[in-house]
Amino acid sequence: MTIQFKPDETFRDEFRYANSDAAVLRFPFPFPEDAYMYSVNIEPHVPGGATPAFDNPFDVDEHYVAECRERARVLEQDPSRCKVLPHMMAAQWDTLELIMESLATSYPAHFTLTREGISWTWENRPLGIRDSFTFGDASTLPLPPFEYITRQAQGDFTLQDQRDDNLFIDAGMVTTQADWSLDFDVGMSFHQWHGPVPLAHQKGVFDRALKFLLRLQYGAPVRRLNWTMTVNPRLDTSPENYPQWGPDRTTLTAENIGQKLHLRVELQSLFRLPRSNAILFGIRCYLCSIEDLARVELWGKRLHRVLRDLHPEIADYKGTTRFREMAVAYLAPFDDGADLPVGTAPRQDTLPPTALPLGR
Amino acid sequence: MLISDIKSRPVYERLSLDGAGRRHLVLSDAPRPLGEVIDGTDGADAPLGYWIVAATSAVDAQPQAEAAPGNAAPVEWRAFRAASHLLDRLSHRLAQETVGLRLYAIGEEGFIWDVARMAREAGLEPSECFTAHAGSLRRKVFCVHCKTVTSGVTTSIAVCEGCGAHLVVRDHFSRMHAAFMGVQADAEAPGELPPVEEVFP
Repeated sequence: MTIQFKPDETFRDEFRYANSDAAVLRFPFPFPEDAYMYSVNIEPHVPGGATPAFDNPFDVDEHYVAECRERARVLEQDPSRCKVLPHMMAAQWDTLELIMESLATSYPAHFTLTREGISWTWENRPLGIRDSFTFGDASTLPLPPFEYITRQAQGDFTLQDQRDDNLFIDAGMVTTQADWSLDFDVGMSFHQWHGPVPLAHQKGVFDRALKFLLRLQYGAPVRRLNWTMTVNPRLDTSPENYPQWGPDRTTLTAENIGQKLHLRVELQSLFRLPRSNAILFGIRCYLCSIEDLARVELWGKRLHRVLRDLHPEIADYKGTTRFREMAVAYLAPFDDGADLPVGTAPRQDTLPPTALPLGR
Repeated sequence: MLISDIKSRPVYERLSLDGAGRRHLVLSDAPRPLGEVIDGTDGADAPLGYWIVAATSAVDAQPQAEAAPGNAAPVEWRAFRAASHLLDRLSHRLAQETVGLRLYAIGEEGFIWDVARMAREAGLEPSECFTAHAGSLRRKVFCVHCKTVTSGVTTSIAVCEGCGAHLVVRDHFSRMHAAFMGVQADAEAPGELPPVEEVFP
């Protein structure tokens, strides 16, 4: 399968970004029910799901080239977005192997990995990269292995070292994040880096998730979805640059909210790594305007109900306080209140040019 | 605005001498009687050092032997002019140390986590370095925007010494930075600041 990339897209300044109809229909919509509450919601990361976004270990889509360019821009500005503690070298090579093998298998038209013993050649045609190197010898790559390969993948990545019955966030490449700082959190234990999340601690979500992840097996990756909302299709909503993107939240009006407000979904995947016994955590970010989402009838109705009934503390933590009511008002005309089936599949193969108001 | 009840916030227990240690070093950022800061020194037979910050240039950090309670060996006692003076001497000590040292730090959070960071960098395991809080609750705040650490913060909003941003002091604590996280309070609507409260006396 060949993907038509859109290399001229931007995720800042003039925001040259749009989803094709196919990209809207493959969006990993996160709400199977009308109400949302924190849960562990982990399932096996096996090919297949509600949309094609779940078909491969590492999903590549039409935004790939532009997202890799955006990552390079963030790193130029702030190299501390990529941090690796010194004891994580084995996990760096594990990550490189897993991502290269997966991309080459999933997208042979775009990526090729040739292995002869420890002599490897990697070809990334969309980015115009071809490097030969010795697996295990970092001096033969132009960058450290973790940074090298995560600069060529969509989404953020962290590495969790496992020791003392706990997980420690001891490395990461974090440039497309929903308001958390790797530079501040690096080295923290599982409960420490999740510290700021409200309600979930009291519900025991993190105790259960940690127990589950400590037993994660090699060859049996898992995934879950998380979500928030972002004004403008901006990937870098980091706390570091909050002074740059925070004001966006005050620019929404009833007229522009459909185009400017985006549902931001993270397809989070977790892989046990073979040599290091560390866990690779992928946080693949998808952005879709609520105007486009409403073109899928089921999604427009469901998003309306979830936002309308959201727990106030979660609404606050996700930064939606300033615009939630306006978003609910925008979506209300598309919701006739009919019962909706459980699940997230779009249940339609084509999109109308614009969402259709239903009226009660 | 202050986000409380965050789980990265350390919880402290009273210090107690670890019987597995072959040498003990207790560090306090203020003069405090040894028995007040740590339990279990009565029967200790391993060498014990007690370093305190006297906060005056009149002291010179010379080691002095002080009688210990019970049958224990004498305590090697030193007084330092400032926390920086103590930490500088500690870095020399840690460079010479071998397996078996147990480190105990008591004082304000900025001090005890500076000690913990030095211990980690010197190769001590987390189970070989113990911390307990005493004294003021004032905080060191790491500005997530410019990476400057502002010390001695007692209020819910603090001005960053680096970039001048008004920072909300979150309860999110990094042992690596030995500091709490500060995030610009008025980033969304510049100038819109909540009232400043004295919250870390």
